[in-house]
Amino acid sequence: MFRSKRKRQTRKDVHVAQLEAIVGPTEILYEREDLLSYDCDGFTVHKAMPKAVVFPKNTEEVAAIVRYCSVHNLPFLARGAGTGLSGGAIPLNGEVIISLGKMRNLLSVDYENRQAVVQPGFVNLKLTNSISNKGYYYAPDPSSQYVCTIGGNVAENAGGAHCLKYGVTTNHILGLEVVLPNGEIIEISEDGIPDSPGYDLMGLLTGSEGTLGIVTKITVRILKNPQGKQTVLAYFDNVEDGSRAVSGIISAGIVPAALEMMDKTAIEGVEAGAYPVGHPDDIEALLLIEVDGIIAGIDEQIDEILTVCKSRNVREVKVAESEEERGKWWANRKTGFGAMGAISPDYLVQDGVIPRSKLPEVLRRIKEISEESGLRIANIFHAGDGNLHPLILFDSRVPGETEKALEAGTACLKACADVGGSITGEHGVGIEKKEEMRFIFTDEELEAQTRIREVFNPDDLLNKGKLFPTPSRCMDVKKVIKDTVAVK
Amino acid sequence: MAKSLAAQLKESAPPCADASPSNYLFKDHPDENKWADCVHCGMCLESCPTYLETGKEQHSPRGRVHLIKSVAEGQISVNEHFADPVFQCLDCRACTTACPADVDVGGLIEEARGQVRKAIPLKGWKGAVSGFFLKGLFPHPDRMRTVSGLLKFYQKSGLQSAVRKTGALKIMPSHLADMEAIMPKVKQPVQKKYKDYKFIPAKGNPKARVAMLTGCIMDVMFSDINESTINVLTHNDNDVVLPKNQTCCGALHVHAGDRDMGRKLAKQNIEAFQEEGKVVVNAAGCGCALKEYPELFKDDPEWKAKAEVFSDKVEDISKYLYDTGYEKPKSTVNKKITYHDACHLAHGQGVRHEPRQLLQDIPGVEYTEMANADTCCGSAGIYNITNPDMAGAVLERKMENVPEEVEMISMGNPGCMLQMALGVQKYGRRSEIVHTVQLLDWAYQKDKENIAANQKAITMKG
Ligand SMILES: Cc1cc2nc3c(=O)[nH]c(=O)nc-3n(C[C@H](O)[C@H](O)[C@H](O)COP(=O)(O)OP(=O)(O)OC[C@H]3O[C@@H](n4cnc5c(N)ncnc54)[C@H](O)[C@@H]3O)c2cc1C
Ligand code: SF4
Ligand code: SF4
Repeated sequence: MFRSKRKRQTRKDVHVAQLEAIVGPTEILYEREDLLSYDCDGFTVHKAMPKAVVFPKNTEEVAAIVRYCSVHNLPFLARGAGTGLSGGAIPLNGEVIISLGKMRNLLSVDYENRQAVVQPGFVNLKLTNSISNKGYYYAPDPSSQYVCTIGGNVAENAGGAHCLKYGVTTNHILGLEVVLPNGEIIEISEDGIPDSPGYDLMGLLTGSEGTLGIVTKITVRILKNPQGKQTVLAYFDNVEDGSRAVSGIISAGIVPAALEMMDKTAIEGVEAGAYPVGHPDDIEALLLIEVDGIIAGIDEQIDEILTVCKSRNVREVKVAESEEERGKWWANRKTGFGAMGAISPDYLVQDGVIPRSKLPEVLRRIKEISEESGLRIANIFHAGDGNLHPLILFDSRVPGETEKALEAGTACLKACADVGGSITGEHGVGIEKKEEMRFIFTDEELEAQTRIREVFNPDDLLNKGKLFPTPSRCMDVKKVIKDTVAVK
Repeated sequence: MAKSLAAQLKESAPPCADASPSNYLFKDHPDENKWADCVHCGMCLESCPTYLETGKEQHSPRGRVHLIKSVAEGQISVNEHFADPVFQCLDCRACTTACPADVDVGGLIEEARGQVRKAIPLKGWKGAVSGFFLKGLFPHPDRMRTVSGLLKFYQKSGLQSAVRKTGALKIMPSHLADMEAIMPKVKQPVQKKYKDYKFIPAKGNPKARVAMLTGCIMDVMFSDINESTINVLTHNDNDVVLPKNQTCCGALHVHAGDRDMGRKLAKQNIEAFQEEGKVVVNAAGCGCALKEYPELFKDDPEWKAKAEVFSDKVEDISKYLYDTGYEKPKSTVNKKITYHDACHLAHGQGVRHEPRQLLQDIPGVEYTEMANADTCCGSAGIYNITNPDMAGAVLERKMENVPEEVEMISMGNPGCMLQMALGVQKYGRRSEIVHTVQLLDWAYQKDKENIAANQKAITMKG
């Protein structure tokens, strides 16, 4: 409808014509210029051109596209808002991209049973916005919640600032409708009853990074707004004190709804970005702490938090005086990654998890990595659950810097793995961290996982080349043998 | 296939000319520093009306920046596939507000449009329409005034009602016919009315002297708003000057990619207001354009410096009143009112609170906030003429947010007023469309009438 008449028409290849027949002429892109916008997601280090992008309107169209691709051996993958930070939606093999952007409706809300059904392209924050007038919200709140889709959240098992207390996406999913890589439509826990007997397929699919199927409908849990909420901002003159305060708060028995930390470079970024708060420019770390729940008890928790901060030499600590102030603090934090654009042309965000007690040690190591590589590293992280986000600042126009940034990223993950942590908290493995999977899994463990993938995705047409290192040696050897046998 | 223009020009250029692989061939091309800020995070997607409408990334801020960068990197050239997303942009600047990295997407798009228009000049009816309005009419105040005469004749003579009755309009493209139905009643332009005045004096002791941009269309189609602006300013003790040599702000030219014309008009305005300390504007689009003049001169240090001095003087009327103080009216305006944020006020100039406060300071006003008040209405200069389908779709979304019960929708931009009037008409609503200063003016007029009536009563009693 909004297409203007264009002179050149790439001669349509037969597959494009067939896919167009499924979705209609306005819901497919195949010209080079149009495809270019789909050559990467929030992870910009790798780029590849898709064969086409299709925009199905319903599950049946998704299934028809998938069936077509599967029969004709065309690689394909799903894409939500393309905010993924590990390259999960990048068409490495010239995939047909199935954009869920047109399936963006809230299908139903059942307040009595506290659940809602959404299409996969429905934007995370819109759910809370649609139910907040009734006093409800959707808990998982990735910082990208203004734009990322719930389908993408399921695929990445996204977390957020408030997941410390409320859990990540997987704790809030009650049912899924999925199109399998052969085009079959299945429902998992249709009625939204948790813990149905049998294997936990929902758990398996959540966080599978779009390699096992395409999610086309999601039943999520919604929560009643907490009665009260208080937010604290604390400034520290050194990172160690800040990190000790984090441990101090948790060991005092408080479970904050959120416990976030930023270091000096990160603060420089958010203050240069679009939502500055006016943080002092000479502090080394800040903590953003939120407690919520029934009103009785919140004040005591706040008092305790203030005491812990003071015992850790806090320079200044304050409680938000209004919803407006609280909103400002959070906007500043949640737009933190993007704000790095204001102080650096490119950034690479890493996503490691460590035991909380190792925070000071790992932060020291990250500082060394920064010095060794000559690249600045900003740290914004969910300190409460030990989920670090080192942001490596670089300029891809400078030859060699991208590689250096990647190396520094790997080194940060190694540092996490070395203290018994993990290489991803919430952003997924995608392309970015598939090699680093070896830091935490043995070959046998990797093979066991690729075998699971094979059950769902036997021809590896769906989102090939993601999540597991290539070549996953023994696995590939076996596949060659199998193929040879099949030919015979 | 014939060689592209880019390839031909590149071959003919001397080898020392330009080592970069850029496919931009003309100067004043998109500024690398602007796209270098973009980290491809996508946080702007949901703010963009054209992305929401199409669901396609190339029609999103992130996609547009990516395309503009890709031309510079030599991956694609300036052709129609590039032009389409670049010209579908509403220039609404919602992305500027949403972007955490402060990427100047609007600036990039305008620069890109300049390149497109040089590489592929407009042809056909769009070229004719755009040439007629942008080159032949807006920059010439005298011609605009003639048009005003004609429009007035058309409306007064009964010809308008005849045309409406006979259905002659049916032969116009539907969006133009829609526009005709909502054309405001034309009054006398203030430039004409006050042509013998050195300045229009403040009501009481003058506390300041301000110059006013009277605008091109503004003074022809919306001269009553100019009149209200003058009234409100003088009521609050400002002397008002209407510099004679001022001209069209050039916003529409710059949006359409005609940056040379934009610069020409900018220079004329900078000179026309040289002697003045404050320039007050009642049209958000114009105000934003004036504030952005320095952008147009980034390759011309002398004029850039002048433009910077000039743009610092520019202020929207609501912000000016808010900052310098205004009398709260005493008479009541008993209306249910909502406010629409003109893109170029909210996103372009960061003015959101001031006009809302003005409205709420009028006694009797029952103010309701509209959901998504700061999403574009689809007017966007002459976008509603050049891209009617998209403009219509964006308008439909906007109207869905207008509360059913409001009697008036207030805003600070004439383009939006036309578009919202179209929306009200098209979707069978009854709300009136007003400019924020008009309401304030009406309340002041009522104050005056009340005082006069009281005096009369007192005199009669005496
Ligand atoms: C500024 C910024 C801040 C962020 N903050 C956080 C954060 O705090 N916490 C966090 O967890 N993440 C965060 N992220 C990462 C990202 O937003 C999440 O991973 C999000 O869940 C991705 O959603 P999306 O809709 O953008 O998916 P995409 O990026 O489009 O896709 C991500 C992956 O999911 C797959 N996929 C998408 N939709 C489907 C579907 N319907 N069915 C099957 N597979 C699908 C894709 O194939 C791809 O592999 C952030 C990203 C940015 C840019
Ligand atoms: S324009 Fe801003 S918000 Fe949009 S992708 Fe670029 S950096 Fe992110
Ligand atoms: S100016 Fe408006 S239409 Fe253009 S890219 Fe930004 S948000 Fe989209």
